[in-house]
Amino acid sequence: MNESLDNYLPVLLQILIAAGFAVATLIASALLGKRARRNEMKDSAYECGMLPIGEGQSRFSVKFYLVAMLFVLFDIEVVFLVPWAVVFKEAVASGATQFFYGMLGFVGVLFLAYLYALNKGALNWKES
Amino acid sequence: MPAYYLEIIVVLLGLAVLTFDAVGRVEDKRSLAGLGVLGLIVVFFLLFKTSKPADPGSVFWKFYATDALAFFFKGIAILTTIVVLLMANDFIPVLQRFGPPVEAKAHPQSGFAEFVALPLFLCAGLMWMASANHLVSIFVSLELVTVTFYVLVAYLRRHELSLEAGVKYLILGALSTGLLVYGLAWLYGATGALDLSGIEGALATTENPLPALFALAFILAAMAFKVGALPTAFWIPDVYQGAPTPVTALLAVGSKSAGFIVLMRLMTPFLKSELLSGKVVAVLAIMAVATLLYGNFAALLQSNVKRLLGYSSISHAGFLVLALASAPSHGGALETPATTVAFYLASYAITALLAFLVLSIVSAARHGDDLNSFRGLAKASPFLALLMLLSMASMAGVPLTIGFWGKFFVFQQAVFSRLWLPLGVAVIGAAAGFYYYFRLIFSMYLETATGADGNPLGKDTLTKIGAGSRIAMILLALAIIGFGFFPGSILALLR
Repeated sequence: MNESLDNYLPVLLQILIAAGFAVATLIASALLGKRARRNEMKDSAYECGMLPIGEGQSRFSVKFYLVAMLFVLFDIEVVFLVPWAVVFKEAVASGATQFFYGMLGFVGVLFLAYLYALNKGALNWKES
Repeated sequence: MPAYYLEIIVVLLGLAVLTFDAVGRVEDKRSLAGLGVLGLIVVFFLLFKTSKPADPGSVFWKFYATDALAFFFKGIAILTTIVVLLMANDFIPVLQRFGPPVEAKAHPQSGFAEFVALPLFLCAGLMWMASANHLVSIFVSLELVTVTFYVLVAYLRRHELSLEAGVKYLILGALSTGLLVYGLAWLYGATGALDLSGIEGALATTENPLPALFALAFILAAMAFKVGALPTAFWIPDVYQGAPTPVTALLAVGSKSAGFIVLMRLMTPFLKSELLSGKVVAVLAIMAVATLLYGNFAALLQSNVKRLLGYSSISHAGFLVLALASAPSHGGALETPATTVAFYLASYAITALLAFLVLSIVSAARHGDDLNSFRGLAKASPFLALLMLLSMASMAGVPLTIGFWGKFFVFQQAVFSRLWLPLGVAVIGAAAGFYYYFRLIFSMYLETATGADGNPLGKDTLTKIGAGSRIAMILLALAIIGFGFFPGSILALLR
């Protein structure tokens, strides 16, 4: 066995034990357990309470996703802008002017994205 | 002009299309595709005007290669995208039927601008892939391409097959990305370098090849997904069939060619290492044999032309992997393996784009892309039938077409490196190819089509071909014959 792969032996063992435990439990319960009587009611998901009818998840408007995605987009912009702003003075003082234009390009692309979203009506909450 | 300006221009072009659409209230959105095509033609000519880097040792050029191979594949990416945009122009009726739902007050062509802008972004990704020289830039450019494809494949939102293809491509693509990252992480762990030249140096002196081989297994599985080779090629027929036809063309040509240059760059350190090259060649040879067998024999039974082209693209990937497998022993051959792969991909690009152009027009006019839609095409439109005949002949490798030279160089490589078993399988595969490509020709010329009502299908709308795609088709057909006579002119570009 190779030395660099030796360190991963515990991981392999862990996987084997995890899979083996699941398989062993299933086999043991099949072998040792009593055969239960089966009928339609017993096999249904709920034996008491409400009847399982209708959608599992309640539906809500896709607009929430759209707004959430746009929010993440512009949130990430800030994540990049803040560290940039922190070191901006020193970087420009040391003569790196591309430091400025790089961020200008980034913000420019995001500005176009904002215009696009605005004009496509992504920010209109009411049905037009 | 530095080479990386080209990608920036292409991205700006895509942004311009989106901005014009959102702000400019464009009346006929086909002009947006026209803008994209014109811009890309300009970029294609700028490709010949780029300057060599002034300081090749600086940090940036570790991420970005500017060799002849990179420019060749950038050219393929640009030309492919041009053809795809022209195809998209004729695809508007299908988009209106199956694309994003259009509200009553909205523009009837709404949703088309994105269908133009996304291939442009994808083109930039393919161009970056052609130059990617560093594990990080390889991964980022590959993801730009893959994520854009997720959107494009599922673009016909109201068409079942397109949605199915979208889901399959998303899940399998995400899985293959995971495999790739894991492989790249192991490669970094094994060599301590992220740029390919550093990896090459580390692998040349390594004494313990096991971690690198472990990484190779994952990288090969993931890259085989991108280029459509076994063991991960099973998504191809379903996704090719379901995706909108222009996207299928982009997937078949663009994704495959850019995937192959990345695969070549990733394999080079392994193939150059004395300790590893024997094992790597064995793995590649097995991949080639399996891919050739699967692609060619599954294609024999297909009755859907898009699926047929899907399986044919798998079989072409098999030939390409075979060329790669013959890499270490290129001492005697005329062309080095990289040149062979590049030539084959150029020939495949020209041939497949022509096939997809014809397919796109026929399937839009006859509302179907099975073999029946092609029956009697020679009577309904001799022009389209002749073009399809040329394309299929080149795919099969009939002499004096460009496809013949592609296969010829691959066989030559295999002979020089004495890969006899894979060579035998490749010859059998090429022979099987003659059967299924010529069955399509047979259907076009010797059978008559019957519609749902039992009557022969007429000329219907087959004569309505946009001027742009008509010119593109004629140019591609001329290229198939012209480069079939003078293959050296493509090879000259690679020196």
